[in-house]
Parts: sequence; structure tokens; C-alpha cells
Amino acid sequence: MTRIPPQYRLIAEVKIRREAFGGILYKYGCADRGTLSFINSPQLIELLIEGQQQYHGNLSAAIEKRRISEANRQKLYGALDDLAKRGYIEVRLSVR
Amino acid sequence: MVEFVRFIERSGRSQGRKVGVVHPLALAAMQQTGEMVSQKKGRGSQRFLQGGLSAPITVTWEITAACNIACVHCLSSSGRRRPGELKTEQALALVDELAEMQVFQLHFGGGEPFIYPGIWKVLERCTERGLVMCVSTNGTLITQERARRLKQFEPLYFQVSLDGGTPETNDSIRGKGVFDRALRGLELLAAEGHSLTVNSVLTRYSFSELDRLYEIAMSFDAKLRVTRLRPSGRGQEVWADLHPTREQYQQFTAWLETHPDVLTADSFFHLNAFGNKLAGLDVCGAATATCCICPEGEVYPCAFFQAPEFEAGNLHTESFREIWQNSILFNYYRQMGSGACTGCGQYSACHGGCPATKWFVHQKLNIRDPECVL
Repeated sequence: MTRIPPQYRLIAEVKIRREAFGGILYKYGCADRGTLSFINSPQLIELLIEGQQQYHGNLSAAIEKRRISEANRQKLYGALDDLAKRGYIEVRLSVR
Repeated sequence: MVEFVRFIERSGRSQGRKVGVVHPLALAAMQQTGEMVSQKKGRGSQRFLQGGLSAPITVTWEITAACNIACVHCLSSSGRRRPGELKTEQALALVDELAEMQVFQLHFGGGEPFIYPGIWKVLERCTERGLVMCVSTNGTLITQERARRLKQFEPLYFQVSLDGGTPETNDSIRGKGVFDRALRGLELLAAEGHSLTVNSVLTRYSFSELDRLYEIAMSFDAKLRVTRLRPSGRGQEVWADLHPTREQYQQFTAWLETHPDVLTADSFFHLNAFGNKLAGLDVCGAATATCCICPEGEVYPCAFFQAPEFEAGNLHTESFREIWQNSILFNYYRQMGSGACTGCGQYSACHGGCPATKWFVHQKLNIRDPECVL
């Protein structure tokens, strides 16, 4: 049994928009204002938009396709862990 | 004044045509608030919202003033349809523009949205453009056929208004028989599996019925949303009698802590000054994160600030994008200072409260929120 890396998937109800300071994440789901986060990292926002638009929400695939240093990759995964805690991302653990 | 002009230039929006004029009373009131807190010093959500976002996060769209009931506290003084209301084609073009600007969510209100002749086409266009929709309705015009037909639109959320947990309390505000008719509307929407919220304006008289309102919402598998009474529209006439007391607000804050699933539409951030931060934004989002489009195309900082002096522009003469980005009123509004709250130890908790309430109660903005709890 091999543990494979967890897969980070953007939740379907999340909307993303670029802003001058980075961008906004917005998760709708009720008749009130949805969950809102201000992200002051343009790099993270670009990753999320790319994952949503080109990889059907699969952010792990978006990261792995990037030519970036290992340190930078880990930093991005760290940021995704934080967004998972806030409910924007689903982390799928699997074994084979 | 110099600082105001500098900010407009810094915001990078000075290239566009300036939209609208600022009423002298509004200008004087905004300038009297002093200089804005610099972005570096701003805390929490405030540092991101200062200066406004590229587009609103949510837009309240009062699509018609026509209403089949006449609530005593109606913030937009609804009743009859107004002559300059946007035609359906104009409304559809507006949906397209809002979608292109990447506005996330539209809150349709009024008046009663289901009286607007083009509401079905507008909801259809929102669905096509991926805009999240919320329809605020009094519930009395919902039929089984309509509840079924509405299932084709998504994502669509409903809020049905109840301003009391009993017919006596609700109907004293919303009209005779409205409580039962609203419950029937909730029942029909719930039967079709719609996502529902019971929306309730907190008053001195409904305060003791919060638990009952919560039970009613739960019985329809709905959420309860409690919002703040504002002294705008007809609400000006009844505010002094209806607005909750400080003691009620204190108890309400404690009640919210034991009911974390209750929504509050970011409207009670002035209660953060009690010392415990409530969920949601800790700052007014008017003209920065949200704004209000009124039936005749008027654009205001928020749904509660429908004062003619604070009209930022009109969709009959300018596009929404032009108003959002280049309205002189909005640019001034986004730079307001902390006024009388300068130096208050709790300023970072409530950021001075609700400007609309200040304006409608005292015609000033450089004062404490009239319901300041300190």
C-alpha cells in the first residue's frame, strides 16, 4: 500500500477575483454574504485561478505543472492548507 | 481637501470621466469626518477595502418599488411602481455588465421582486452568466407553480421576511395577515427544496421572539438572518420607537454567541464595541464591497443609504462601471475619516458604526453611531 500525496481541490462554490493587493476568495452558499477572504499574494491568486480554469479545480495538478523551486512549492502547499482550514479547498487523501 | 484629491489620484481611477456631482451637504458631512486612516494603519478588513475594490462583492438591486404590502419600516418607502424604473432590456444589459465586472452575488429586493415584469428573464440571465442570486421576498406572491418554476435557476437563494415570531408582532409592522401568508410562501418554497433564509429586522418588540423566529426558520430547514433596523425610508418615522435598547443589544450579542448559525448580514458590527467580535466584517462595506442599485437606476453606497444627497450616479446616464470607478461621491465616501470616534479605544472593533444611521438620525457623519453601545 503506497501513500500518494493528497490532492487539493478548489470547492465548486468558490469564486476568485484579482485585485490590486492580490485577490479575493468568495464562497457562496446562503442568502447572506458568503465567506470572504482577502489574499495579499498575487502568486497564490494566479495559482487558484489557473487551477480553477485549466485543471477543473485540481490545484495539486496546477502546482506540479509549475517550474518552481521545491521551497516555493512547499510554500504554496502551506498556503493551500490554510485555505483548506477556511473551507475553500478540499483535501483528498488516498492510498493505492 | 488636498488629501482627498491625492487619494483620488492614487487610486488610479483619475483617468476616467468623473461621474456625478456631490451634493454640498454630503460633501460637507464627509469632509467633516477628517482624514481617512492610512491603509497601513487600517486593521482587519478595512485595509483591503479602503479605496474600494475593482468591483463590488455583492450588489443589492432594488429592482422595483412596487410592493403589495406596506411595511412601516420599509427602507426604500416602497409601494407603487416608479415611472423611471429600468426596462427589462436595461436590466439584462446591467446583469451582463455586472457579470463582466466579476461581481459575485446579486441581492434582489424592492419593493417585491416578483412584481417586476422582467424578473424571470433577469434571473435566467444571471444563471447564464454565473451570478449568484438571492431574492428577498415578502413571500406572499409565491405559488406552487412559481416555486417549481424557480428551480431552473441556480445558484439561487431566498430570504423571506418575518419581523416577528408571532402574527401580532409581525403584522404590526408588515400588515394584517402577512405573517400567515409569508409562512405559506416559505412552505411552498421549502416543498420544492429551495435554499431558504428567514430574514428578520431586529426591533424592540421582536427581540423577545428571537427564539421563536429561530424555531420557525428551523421548521423550514432554513437559516435565520437577523438584520439591523435602519432609520431610512419609512424607517425614519418609526426608528425611535422600534430600534432596540442598549440592554437588548447586549443580550442579543450573547444570544448570537449561543446561535453561531444565525446570519447577520454584517449589520451589527457596531456591537463589536461590547468587546466580543461578532462574525463577519468589522467595518462598513458601503461603496467599497457593496452598493445599492435602486429601481430608477440610482446608485447609492448601500441599501440603507438611499438619501438623495448620497446618489453616486444614475444608470440612465452612466454605466455601472463608470459609477463604481469614477463617481466623485464614491471617491469621497471611500476616504472618510473616523470623525468623533478618533481616539476611541474601540475604533478598530467597529470603525465608527453605520454612516447611514448617523446621517438619517442627525444629518451628520462625524458623530458616533446613534446606537453606539459605549
